[in-house]
Amino acid sequence: MSSPGRAPGAAVTGAPSDPFDILGLEPRFDLDPVEIGRRQLDLSKALHPDRFASAPAAERRMALGRTIEVNQAARALKDPVKRAEALARRRGLPVGETSEPRPSAALLMEMMEGREQLSEAAAAGDRARVEKLGASMRAREATVTVALAQAFAGEGARDAVLALLGELRYVRRFLDEVSAFEETFL
Amino acid sequence: MLLEIHDPKAAPKPIGIDLGTTNSLVARVRDGRPVVIDDCGEPGIVPSAVWYGEADRVVVGREALRRATEEPTNVIVSVKRLMGRGADDPETARLGTYDFVAPSTPEEAKSVRFRVRGRILTPIEVSAEILRALRQLAQDELRSVGPAVITVPAYFDDAQRQATKDAARLADLTVLRLLNEPTAAALAYGLEKKENGLFVVYDLGGGTFDVTILNLADGVFEVKATGGDSQLGGDDMDRAVADVFLAEMGVVDASAAPASVVRLALDLARRAKHGLTDAETVDVELPLAGGAAKTFPLSRARFDELVRPLIDRTGSACRRAMRDAGVKPTEIDGVILVGGATRVPLVRSYVEGMFGKPPLADIDPDQVVALGAAVQADLLAGEGNPDDVLLLDVLPLSLGLVTMGGVVEKILPRNTTIPAGARQTFTTYAEGQTGFDLHVVQGERELEADCRSLARFTLRGIPPMPAGLARLDVTFRVDADGLLSVEAREATTGVAQTIEVQPSYGLTDEQVEAMLMAAIDHGEEDLAQRRLVEERVEAQRVLGATKKALAADVDLLAADERAAIERAMAALELAEAGEEPAIIHARIELLDDATKAWAGRRMDRAVARAIAGKQIADVEEGVATALGVDAHVEEHARRAGGH
Repeated sequence: MSSPGRAPGAAVTGAPSDPFDILGLEPRFDLDPVEIGRRQLDLSKALHPDRFASAPAAERRMALGRTIEVNQAARALKDPVKRAEALARRRGLPVGETSEPRPSAALLMEMMEGREQLSEAAAAGDRARVEKLGASMRAREATVTVALAQAFAGEGARDAVLALLGELRYVRRFLDEVSAFEETFL
Repeated sequence: MLLEIHDPKAAPKPIGIDLGTTNSLVARVRDGRPVVIDDCGEPGIVPSAVWYGEADRVVVGREALRRATEEPTNVIVSVKRLMGRGADDPETARLGTYDFVAPSTPEEAKSVRFRVRGRILTPIEVSAEILRALRQLAQDELRSVGPAVITVPAYFDDAQRQATKDAARLADLTVLRLLNEPTAAALAYGLEKKENGLFVVYDLGGGTFDVTILNLADGVFEVKATGGDSQLGGDDMDRAVADVFLAEMGVVDASAAPASVVRLALDLARRAKHGLTDAETVDVELPLAGGAAKTFPLSRARFDELVRPLIDRTGSACRRAMRDAGVKPTEIDGVILVGGATRVPLVRSYVEGMFGKPPLADIDPDQVVALGAAVQADLLAGEGNPDDVLLLDVLPLSLGLVTMGGVVEKILPRNTTIPAGARQTFTTYAEGQTGFDLHVVQGERELEADCRSLARFTLRGIPPMPAGLARLDVTFRVDADGLLSVEAREATTGVAQTIEVQPSYGLTDEQVEAMLMAAIDHGEEDLAQRRLVEERVEAQRVLGATKKALAADVDLLAADERAAIERAMAALELAEAGEEPAIIHARIELLDDATKAWAGRRMDRAVARAIAGKQIADVEEGVATALGVDAHVEEHARRAGGH
């Protein structure tokens, strides 16, 4: 008997069904997070278990299940990587790190170097350097995001979508590390 | 004592309970406003102290606290700090005035236990005594106590929440909801002031610190982030000051000092802290060995110096919460103070410095949480108007699963809106592995050893496969109380297992039943009577809800479905007039079944309305216009035809 291992192929699965459908939002990449939040709130008002506190038990369970579904969908759409995955899935693209094409050697090299610099700066406790690396990566995230929105808007650009999604994954992972480091200074 | 049963003629009234480290209160809504229930004309602030006497005598509150100095081991105070903690928890050693019992089995090690007059008690049982006393207070005023909302620190983990719920069950309270204390405070403020904006609740209680950032918008209280320290509070200030007093009294090693001396020093420290809220200096009479005493002047400056490190610890939690919420101090519209320790002037100036504006404290910080709890209880019990208010809370600490090598994989990150769910897939590491050991933990750290262990379970019966081929789907669900359940399923074979994460030391239903029976003088007879009352209340609730639903959504029912529901309602009404709790219960379930499919359609309709929002109004207007046009056209045609 042993602990479970992280399944590398089976990437994190988000909502059981399509988050755009659950929230009744137009399937676009450049969704306004404020709009996602507003929709989540409107649906919570209709479905939250507190609204069913005096309802029969079966109905209370149903309300709980559906609110969970809404919150899960909203969380997925607010996360750019998961939002892109959900959109790609709608188009029948193979999503998940083992099914997607491997990122280019140039990108891999670049990211490896970047993370090396980051961990050096973090190990040295060089906050200014970490912040600088973080800022330049955030600028890059913005560029990738715009490109992804364009790729999704133009139908059929399958390879472009998957390449950008791969890049966004690396960018986000880098920024998560920056975040974890910044937190130690709070 | 627990047994003035409900007065069957009085309608049970919902209550809100603030089960605090130092003090506890019970409140209710009267004429649309929340009020704290008085204790014989005194403001009903019940010190959270329990005295255990001979022959199972138990005293709760002021009188128990009064006996604490004389009989430190017979009086349990600040038990909240031990809720949901294991026997090996470092906190137990820090609160060393009790006679802790060393565990002899792994099962026993799951909870702190102490010996009081030969009895072995858990924090859950001690908390239940406090809840019983509050229930009695409410009973005296309301005649019949309904279900309760009980507040917990936002930063309480799953185990601490579960322990609180168990204590309530033991005190024979029906829990409508566990509500986070800062959210309760915001509810009390928000409804009073009818303000919208971004608020911070800074809650420094006796034993816990919480900070919550929430947005108030037209009755929706949306928590953006929460943080804190479940082991930091006014008690720690007392301890810091008491250490100085003990040194002045010639006690070299405080950990070896007699319990009564430590208790006395803590008591003097608490009083000095209160005195320094208004005075610049207080003179403390310190007893010395041999009956002598000396006067020790304690200035506010010295006090501030002693407690500053504690207050500084609240700052990093505040900064982290703001970061998680994605807000800057300048965007905050108001800061609400909660908890007795926020009376300390240094705390107020610190908070003002951090957020750049003077904090609000116009509702009594000792009462505000209980008042908010009463409001929520009222809303949930259907007494208030629920359409006006909705509380959306978050998960305070990340939930995860331990993977190979003791590394924690986060499944639900902290500050996720609850109710929440997430699913993640794992695989096998070893060739031919036929099972998984699952260890569910809570916390922010990456390693298993640094997180709070919530539950372990094993999924067996998977046929041997090469490593990496099995697909283990693990689903986490957190309900509106913040309590977790976990389901694991091997996807290729469908082997499934579900657990409620009853933290290991949660009491089983049988244990609670047995303890309740023991507490009830007349045993089974009263229990049956109580069941009948409870089932009747539930029957009335379900019937009421169904009638309301029929009035609104009868068009979503086919004729035969409607007939079936009406039959089930009639059968339940008949049972409700009878004397058999089991029959009432069975017929509630039958009505439940009859309405299930319809409930789904009603929710679909609610969703469609929420998504369409204004559009639906537009559509209806459009339809009306079209009908008008049709009528006009028809009229025209008729006239034309008449020609």
